[in-house]
Amino acid sequence: MANAIQSATPSTRGAWLSKLVVTVLITAGVVLMIVPLLMTAYMSLFADGVVTFPPSGYTLSWYGRLAEFPKFGQSLGTSLRVAFTATLLSLLIGVPASIALVRYRFIGRGLLNVLLLSPLTVPGVVIGLGLYVLMVDIEIRSEIPLIGSDWVLVLAHLLITTPWVVRLCVANLVQLDRSIEEAAANLGAPPARVLWSVTLPMMRQGIVAAALFAFIVSFENIELTLFLISPGMITFPISVLQYLEYRFDPLVASVVVVQTAVIALLLLAIDRYVKLSKVV
Amino acid sequence: MTRRRPEGLTASLLIGPATLVVLLSLVLPLALLARYSLNRYDRRTFMVEAFTPENYLRFVTDPFYTGVLWTTFSIAIVTTLLCLLMGFPIAYKLARSQSRWKSIGVLLIILPLFIGSTVRALGWMGVLGRGGIVDAIYGAMGGTGISLLYTSFAVGLGILSINLPYMILTLQSVIEGIDARVEEAADSLGASPPRRFWHVVLPLALPGIATGGILVFILAMNAYATPFLLGGARFQMMAPMLYREFAVNNNWPFAAAIAFILMLTTLTLTALSSLLVQRRYRAQ
Repeated sequence: MANAIQSATPSTRGAWLSKLVVTVLITAGVVLMIVPLLMTAYMSLFADGVVTFPPSGYTLSWYGRLAEFPKFGQSLGTSLRVAFTATLLSLLIGVPASIALVRYRFIGRGLLNVLLLSPLTVPGVVIGLGLYVLMVDIEIRSEIPLIGSDWVLVLAHLLITTPWVVRLCVANLVQLDRSIEEAAANLGAPPARVLWSVTLPMMRQGIVAAALFAFIVSFENIELTLFLISPGMITFPISVLQYLEYRFDPLVASVVVVQTAVIALLLLAIDRYVKLSKVV
Repeated sequence: MTRRRPEGLTASLLIGPATLVVLLSLVLPLALLARYSLNRYDRRTFMVEAFTPENYLRFVTDPFYTGVLWTTFSIAIVTTLLCLLMGFPIAYKLARSQSRWKSIGVLLIILPLFIGSTVRALGWMGVLGRGGIVDAIYGAMGGTGISLLYTSFAVGLGILSINLPYMILTLQSVIEGIDARVEEAADSLGASPPRRFWHVVLPLALPGIATGGILVFILAMNAYATPFLLGGARFQMMAPMLYREFAVNNNWPFAAAIAFILMLTTLTLTALSSLLVQRRYRAQ
């Protein structure tokens, strides 16, 4: 090996070196992404109530005690409900918006494009605080309790799911061949029919990707949600966060392992229907 | 063809609802927050109507707060650069891969996105914390207990592992858009791999690098859970500080001022960087 390097010409030695650097970078990246996940799964098997390495033994019993996790079922239910509603609503408003942005020419199109994507560039804690003070302001004026209702959370999440829907659908639409829609129109299909029977079916992959991303950003959001929860209603990631603030044990690890496994299976199922590697 | 409806009307019907939602739930709250940031904090009544810049002045004149802003900025810049450095080769390998394992690889990159930052933080707590793996190995080698938790290293590592998938996915889609024949042409004209990378691949991937970099930078500037769990009370960043000012100190006007300082810093920097890339792009 050493001889081979010495006898190599400078250019191949340079190539060898750059290959080494690339390999090191790739390995480091993969390790960084995988280690926290593997570690979490590993810790969920520790027999002791306190996480110390190495553990005195291993057990699966934490998985039998998932229900003991405070507010586990309730917060998971809230999260799924909010994420599902926010995804659905953001598709309803985001898909038409993306069609307008790509297929129509109108005044202020560039500005609206920036506006619709802008929630992605505003810090989540800023949006959260802003929405909270607005809701309190409305509560004081109207005397309707808002904080702690599903709908405030859905509205807040809509703000971060819609830009993703618009972004992914716009990216999808610009790749689609416009001539097929024009052909349908030439054959006498009214615009609504073209939209429903040609454009939307062609956008299927983009819409699935958009729904997926919308669901992710809603389900795992912490920054916005933090300001809008109430003691009776918290979301799943926040219940994990609150638990971790005081306790760090294998139970919380097993809770998130189960969550991860469910999500992985869901992704695999969707992948069979629409190739994720092609749409994201 | 019958009389057509004006295009503008159809378009506004399509785009109207989304615009309304963003205006109502983004612009309106921000306007109210801007107003609150000029109010005065009072220990008993919490907030007094006023029109004063004192909240902003308090932030810029107190070295503690400017220090936190600086820390947040440095962490964001360093993690963004490292994300680029590690993300690019992975994204390139994925984009150019023809193997049937490719979709599995992409799935493995997407999966962490779904898992949330708390889970990653939890994993790092097990690696870096007292009684964690690093501590145990260090102890076995004769050291006397180290905890890397609550340091800039821990927070940087945590943010890096969360943001890397975002960077890889953004870069991968851009690299897939680059015609592989361009690279083959460079090859056949005798360019060495590094030369091909610097003069062909990199310039073409620049818009993707900018998009990915900006996305990851914003995520790092705004990170809440990672600095909260891995940084603790010892290592402060902007988002947890804002939340504490709001929830613990009940100082809404100051929290609002912090919010605007964080937002304006982020927006200015992202605008600057995209401007820089655009100019470079035109120059070529």
